[in-house]
Amino acid sequence: MNSRRLALAAALLVAAAVAPAALAGDEVRIGLAAPLTGDQAYIGQCVLHGAEMAVEDANVKGPVFGSTRIRLVPLDDQHNPTQAVLAANKFVADPDVVAVVGHFNSSCTKAASTIYHESRMAQVTPGSTNPEISRQGFDTFFRVCPTDDVQAPAAADFVRSKLGIKRIAILDDQTTYGKGLADAFEKRYRSLGGEVTQRDGITQGEKDFTPLLTKIRSGKPELVYFGGIYPELALILKQAAKVGLVTRWMGGDGVAEPTLITLAGPKLAEGVYVTRLGLDPHTVPTAKDFASRYEARHGEIGPFSAYAYDAANVLIEAIRRAGSKDRQAVLAEVRKTRDLPGLLGPVNFDAQGDAIGKSIGIFQIQDGEFRFIEEARPAAGS
Amino acid sequence: MEGALDLFLQQLLNGLTIGMIYALIALGYTMVYGVIQLINFAHGEVFMAGAYLAMTALVFFGTLATPLPVWAVFAAVVLFSVVGSAALGAGIERVAYKPLRGSPKLTALITSIGMSFFLQNAVMLVYGAKEQSVPDIFPAGRLEAGPLSVSLLQGVIFAVSIGLMVLLTRFVRHTRTGKALRALAQDPDTARLMGVSVDSMIRLTFVLGSALAAVGGALFGMYYGSVNFHDGYLAGLKAFTAAVFGGIGSIPGAMIGGILLGIFEAMGAGYLSAEWKDVFAFVLLGAVLIFKPSGLLGENVPEKV
Repeated sequence: MNSRRLALAAALLVAAAVAPAALAGDEVRIGLAAPLTGDQAYIGQCVLHGAEMAVEDANVKGPVFGSTRIRLVPLDDQHNPTQAVLAANKFVADPDVVAVVGHFNSSCTKAASTIYHESRMAQVTPGSTNPEISRQGFDTFFRVCPTDDVQAPAAADFVRSKLGIKRIAILDDQTTYGKGLADAFEKRYRSLGGEVTQRDGITQGEKDFTPLLTKIRSGKPELVYFGGIYPELALILKQAAKVGLVTRWMGGDGVAEPTLITLAGPKLAEGVYVTRLGLDPHTVPTAKDFASRYEARHGEIGPFSAYAYDAANVLIEAIRRAGSKDRQAVLAEVRKTRDLPGLLGPVNFDAQGDAIGKSIGIFQIQDGEFRFIEEARPAAGS
Repeated sequence: MEGALDLFLQQLLNGLTIGMIYALIALGYTMVYGVIQLINFAHGEVFMAGAYLAMTALVFFGTLATPLPVWAVFAAVVLFSVVGSAALGAGIERVAYKPLRGSPKLTALITSIGMSFFLQNAVMLVYGAKEQSVPDIFPAGRLEAGPLSVSLLQGVIFAVSIGLMVLLTRFVRHTRTGKALRALAQDPDTARLMGVSVDSMIRLTFVLGSALAAVGGALFGMYYGSVNFHDGYLAGLKAFTAAVFGGIGSIPGAMIGGILLGIFEAMGAGYLSAEWKDVFAFVLLGAVLIFKPSGLLGENVPEKV
């Protein structure tokens, strides 16, 4: 009894001596900014969970350098550029934050990019696809997903050349993302000789689109292209059926969510075409394991969870190589990223910080599922 | 090519449908304002909670082994939503506004904004951030009347909304309690001297307003087929606009304001540009505030907020 107690006490002592040494190790922080509350909270949380898993995986392997471990510091930008700027300022003011994963919405990413640029802090967005952001010429900006300059023309080529459709209507949700996507689509589609019967916009968060759809019905388009995200498209599909608008539909990565089918119902979602930034994580060999681990913890995975994982890994590896908490050093290492093994293919950046070589997948909803139709490789030099 | 008249009528129906829902929500804004001069910004969230409760009940009825008739399900769903939201409305009043009675109006106004954020995020935590799908219970048939054709659910929305507005008007005009409510709105001190229980009347106002918003929420969820914890924000703002447009404090004003706002928006979106739909609504608000601050049917009272 006595000796057992002694052993216990000794063990406790050893533990007490060792534990602080393990805990006392320094930490380096990676910021994460995404819409964690507000109308886009769901996608924001997908991004957060993806990045969290990257940081956990890295910490399991041990300290990133010396005795330094990584901590992810999430901040909510509420899909609001003003909040995005506030979050960026908070990150910049914290000397332990060396780089940021984020933001998600193009409008937020663009607004915050100036602040990261001024503070020489690397920013890697997992999901902002608007091409204007990288055209600002900020050397602190990177993205792991392809841009709408790649996505929208691929969609337009498919509609005009593969489907042979001559008359379409184009809608967008008036966000930096949705409008950018629709503009790029319209430009390419018109250059291919297609006719656009109507070009109009909706407001995100609005629910009633029946007046607009009634108007579109009178133009008799063969297809309607929507630049926006899935909750609105689901409503549009339902209301189109109500006002008797029968046509085909196509959208970008923002609508390529299984929830679209749940919300609109498999019958109305049937036949909708979408482009996806890269392929379905379930079907990509390098992402399969991540997808099943993710789904065991958080439910359904989207492409942005995988891109968030990749974006966080770009930063983790850069910190590892830099071996310091110096923002400049980390930034320099991010720029040197070459063929980093990402879940959705190797990660490489061009001079503007845009992802190179990411392909676009064209999918169609068939029998309540997204079925892969073809892969569109980005045209060189765009 | 379809006729311009058909198109116009279709747009009118589109506008009337959402206008009815705006009107149901606007009644809650206007009644609360009439009684305690508070713009209750949490009211949009009560509407949203009503939609979520209806969705929950619909999902529950969908799992029953032996399906009940559509009308029974509809009545049960609306009742569940109304009872839940009325309790929520009374709870909000008890917790957030009653302790502030007698304090400056601005305090309660800011509290209502805080309450709105709280409720939004509470619903997000309970149901998750994702859009929820609302099961469809009505058969796809349409009601035809000459050139007009409305879906069954649209017909239900018209019937239920108009019925409730008539009932509310009769209640306020012709019952003893309704008289007490009007007395309280006119002059709280004198009403108290006449034996009107101010606290219970204020509670009743919140209960009635929340119940109407819940019906609106249930109809809204069924009509659009999905609910999101963020839905109360824009719908609440539009209904508030409708209440001001019709004359805040005036019950018929809120009804007319809501319906006209719905039609105005539909016509703007249908004939001008859908991109500007919200702009039309808020330009209307601005114009009313500039040219007729008391609204269409409102009384000319010196500013109170």
